Amino acid sequence: MADTKTFQPDLGFVKGVMEAGGDTVNRCYQCATCSVVCPLSTEESPFPRKEMLWAQWGMADRIAGDADVWLCHQCGDCSTYCPRDAKPGDVLGAIRANAIKYYAQPKALADLFSNKAGVLAVVGASYIAWLIVIFLWSLYTGERFLFPEGDVKYYKLLTFIPIDALALPAAGIAAWAGYMGITAFWRDLCKGSGYVSYSGTPVKPAIGPFIFKYIIPAFQEILAHSRFEKCGQTRERVQGHKLMLYSFIILFIVTCIVFVVNDMIYVPFLGHHFTPMPLWNPIKIAANIGAVMLVAGSWMVWQMRKRKTEEGVFKSSEQDWLLIYLIFAVGVTGVAAEVIRLFNIALLAYPIYVLHLATVVTLFLSIPYSKFAHLLYRTTAYVFQLYEKDLKEGKAGWGMEKEVLPPNPEEAEKAAH
Amino acid sequence: MSKKIGVYIFTGDGIADAIDVDKLVELATGELGCALAKTHPDLFSPEGLAMIKADCESEELNGVVVAGISPRYTFDELNIPGVYVERASLRELVAWSHEIPEDAENKDAQKEHVQELAEDYIRMAVTKVQKAEFPEPDCLEDASDKILVIGGGITGMTAALEAADAGKEVTIVEREPELGGFAAKLRKQLPLGPDFSGLQEPVVADLISKVTGNSLITVKTSIEVARIAGVPGQFRVSLKAAGTKSEWDAPVPLTEEELVDENGKELSAEDQKKKYDEKNEGRKDYMEEDPNAEIHGAVVVASGWRPYVPGDEEFTHLGWGNPDVITNVQFEELAKAGKVKRPSDGKEVKNVAFILSPGAKDDDADFPYAGAVTSLVALKQAKYVREDNPEDGKAFIFYQHMRTPGKYEYFYKGIQDDPGIFLTKGAVTEVAADGGQLKVNVENTILGEDIAVDVDLVVLSTGMVPTTKDEPVINLAYRQGPAFKDLDLFDGYCDSNFICFPYETRRTGIYAAGAVKRTMTMAESMEDAAGASLKAIQSVVAASEGRAVHPRTWDFDYPDFYFQRCTQCKRCTEECPFGALDDDEKGTPKPNPSRCRRCGTCMGACPERIIGFKDYNIDIVGSMIKAIEVPDDDDDKLRIICFACENDAYPALDMAARKGLSWSPLVRIIPVRCLGSVNVSWIKDAMSSGMDGALLLGCKYGDDYQCHFVKGSELCNLRMDNVAESLNSLGMEQERVKLLQVAIDEYDKIPEMINEFAQEVLDLGPNPFKGW
Repeated sequence: MADTKTFQPDLGFVKGVMEAGGDTVNRCYQCATCSVVCPLSTEESPFPRKEMLWAQWGMADRIAGDADVWLCHQCGDCSTYCPRDAKPGDVLGAIRANAIKYYAQPKALADLFSNKAGVLAVVGASYIAWLIVIFLWSLYTGERFLFPEGDVKYYKLLTFIPIDALALPAAGIAAWAGYMGITAFWRDLCKGSGYVSYSGTPVKPAIGPFIFKYIIPAFQEILAHSRFEKCGQTRERVQGHKLMLYSFIILFIVTCIVFVVNDMIYVPFLGHHFTPMPLWNPIKIAANIGAVMLVAGSWMVWQMRKRKTEEGVFKSSEQDWLLIYLIFAVGVTGVAAEVIRLFNIALLAYPIYVLHLATVVTLFLSIPYSKFAHLLYRTTAYVFQLYEKDLKEGKAGWGMEKEVLPPNPEEAEKAAH
Repeated sequence: MSKKIGVYIFTGDGIADAIDVDKLVELATGELGCALAKTHPDLFSPEGLAMIKADCESEELNGVVVAGISPRYTFDELNIPGVYVERASLRELVAWSHEIPEDAENKDAQKEHVQELAEDYIRMAVTKVQKAEFPEPDCLEDASDKILVIGGGITGMTAALEAADAGKEVTIVEREPELGGFAAKLRKQLPLGPDFSGLQEPVVADLISKVTGNSLITVKTSIEVARIAGVPGQFRVSLKAAGTKSEWDAPVPLTEEELVDENGKELSAEDQKKKYDEKNEGRKDYMEEDPNAEIHGAVVVASGWRPYVPGDEEFTHLGWGNPDVITNVQFEELAKAGKVKRPSDGKEVKNVAFILSPGAKDDDADFPYAGAVTSLVALKQAKYVREDNPEDGKAFIFYQHMRTPGKYEYFYKGIQDDPGIFLTKGAVTEVAADGGQLKVNVENTILGEDIAVDVDLVVLSTGMVPTTKDEPVINLAYRQGPAFKDLDLFDGYCDSNFICFPYETRRTGIYAAGAVKRTMTMAESMEDAAGASLKAIQSVVAASEGRAVHPRTWDFDYPDFYFQRCTQCKRCTEECPFGALDDDEKGTPKPNPSRCRRCGTCMGACPERIIGFKDYNIDIVGSMIKAIEVPDDDDDKLRIICFACENDAYPALDMAARKGLSWSPLVRIIPVRCLGSVNVSWIKDAMSSGMDGALLLGCKYGDDYQCHFVKGSELCNLRMDNVAESLNSLGMEQERVKLLQVAIDEYDKIPEMINEFAQEVLDLGPNPFKGW
């Protein structure tokens, strides 16, 4: 046995988990109550028990390659029933927060988005960036800077060209960072579950099965919130979360429609603006419903988290709050910008509109760096879980072939023990 | 002394339904010649008891039989001055345990059996009252209440302070030049109180200043005990400079091996004496009195422990022999000196592995003499590693058992909270030198895989050996030798009944506390010290009042010897479980009542039947047996005598009766103090009076004995061999006598045990000498 590979626990990882809100991780003594009470944990892969042990021993690689970390919705049942107050729910939350930082590129942005001052700085910087863009654009349009003459119409301030000039690079950074994060995560997941191809690279299904067998079902599950709804202690949170998710989808769709109709048809070909739309316009109605849902959803989640934190069901980190505040700010500034525009108070309307733009850019930029990244990684974990299940059963393709061999049976047996 | 006896029969609780009480009244006043006999439906009510008392006065009774509720229920009203009261258990031993089913076929025959049983119990009780005398306590005058504490560590100092707080003078004898013991050699100690979550600064300095500042406490350092002679309340303590020889060193008797020659033949008395004198040359006889001895009333033994040091060949798979593989005590020394540095090269250590269980994959036992303390100490020392290296220090604890009892669970939790302390259950299979490091291989970990870690230092969590393993410590000048008995049976720990009376040792007036008894933390040792100290004080009071210590604390009686008939066979001196008897040169026993626990083992041992108590002796029990009426012409009415130990078997019988379980009505039960007190003559009495069998119910004996007097049931079992022999020589089946072991909670089994034996006797048929 002298050839057992020497292993050194990653002390930094343990400290990181403890600092990120999992300070109770070491109290776990492996009784498995958590895995028993967890409504989502499965018999084949019982979490959060194994994650607790890996975290105690600083096994960063193991945790990184573990999809289960992301299959938890932090209902807090495990923490409530834990006989030793090890709060597995909080530990998994801390591990997720650290994983987001771990996969984030560049890391500096993740650090920036992990605290209040950083987020405010980004919002402030975006605000200033928008002011510069507005100033430059005003030189081109000849409108008065920040407060154009006449009725409040935001296109006087900015049209799609200057907006995209700033928003697209931000979205680009987010998309690139998100892609890098997801691929790195996928690689770790493959390594963690033992599924690597003959060349040692991570496996992935052909594009067809990928979309139809894994991505679409995963999305369906996410939209339905079916797992989230199983969570005992925080079932109420589901409603707020659902409202937010749906509102983002609605707002994304109407933004796309407006972009196409206004920026690609009306302005270039008809020479005038499609916006602002009258309130009866179905697109506007949808947009307003979306906006109200966003404000209401984030408010509900806010209140719920506050109450459950006070009750001690789970801990809330700064990142948890920041995301809620930011989404709430996006919703409130959006609604306010619209309402004040309708009241035609230019002095208030334009600065608030710019604030809205600043929060939106901040939110989008934060996707791979803040808690918002759960959107990326939880979805990835859902997809991987479906894929891995098929891999195990040897039907990961269209169902006709075995794409990859199952992992080394010895390894599998060891893992089972 | 002839007595005027009154018999009172309780008719309630189903007694009157089970038996014809009028016949009992007739029996008492007629055949048994009692002055009066009465029945009462509520005899144990204040009215009933008042009636007895009033009768005693008006009728001038000096003996009373109260037949009804089991004698295990006490009634203060029955303590009537000048009146000997004996209880007969008609309720438990007759009515409740011999209920006849409504649909029984031979109801009348059964009823007759039960009636005869009740009558025999009345006969036995009346006989006992006729024979018994009142105990007169042998009070130790001028008993000293000074307490001697052996050992000046945390336990000894606590014991001394507790005794001083109770107003007693105390002498602490410490072999080392300083007080403090191991407690003074620690960097930090385990928590003594809430919140239990972390290490605590040692409290020993505070204790030392309290002890040295206490005017009632005399501290003698660099001093040890040469011998302790005498009795509780009057121990004569001879002291000497530590490490020196003294003429007052306690002599050591010859061992069993030394008593025989090379051929296994027992040496002659002279040769034994010669050998003994050689062995104890330069030492005064154990009976000689040291004129300079200090008088103490009781002793607290707090001599503690020494570290277990592995032998050269031990634990080689764990790297023992490598300078960087050390014991927990060695690690503590390094930690006390400052930042822990490696013994081999003086490098500061960052990564340390603590190994709790040495058995690799074959055995999951911890190190010898380990206990919860060694688990806790490993946790504590892991914290040292982290204190020395808060940034990057790592401590690994590999255990098979993590023992953190009681509130120490909080300590475990508190230590676990440190991110740099890594714990797993697992079998450490190898520690190998690997460059400048030590590679520790661990299999079957809870991580689900075998792991290996590189560390700078390996600490073996070795155990705490009680000082009584190496030497007698108490150095008693007793006939049975200077040390506690049967130390080997308990790996050198002094014997004690941990559950029922944890402080009593096999030597009355000498109370062990702390790590000499078992591995203990400081908190446990201090609590234990307080208990032992109070017990020591109590024992002096008991000696001066002339009563026993645990378990017969109410007992003022003591064994009386009729020396004229003593044959100096030495059985009593050798068999007394508590070393109460010394002897003179000829071997005549010298009783020491305040050492005696009143078990009666000497009485059971004596072949000359010269030892007895005032109300419990050979004659009384023998007469009770003879009082039983044995029909000599009825094969269905065989008679079996049953001696039941008062401590376990008899309560179990009461419980069985209470639960409505029943046993054979052929059996007559006599409670005995201990099976050790059962004299073979009683069995002979039973057989010669025509009884057909004898059953002895006592506690479990052997290594994990449950006997309240440690050796009683075991000795009784040894005597059974003699009984079998004499039965055989009479041409009787030895199966007619049987000893069975029963625990107090086996009430559900005891009726069956009795019935089985009764059936065996019935199968053997009547005693062939019946009616002779």
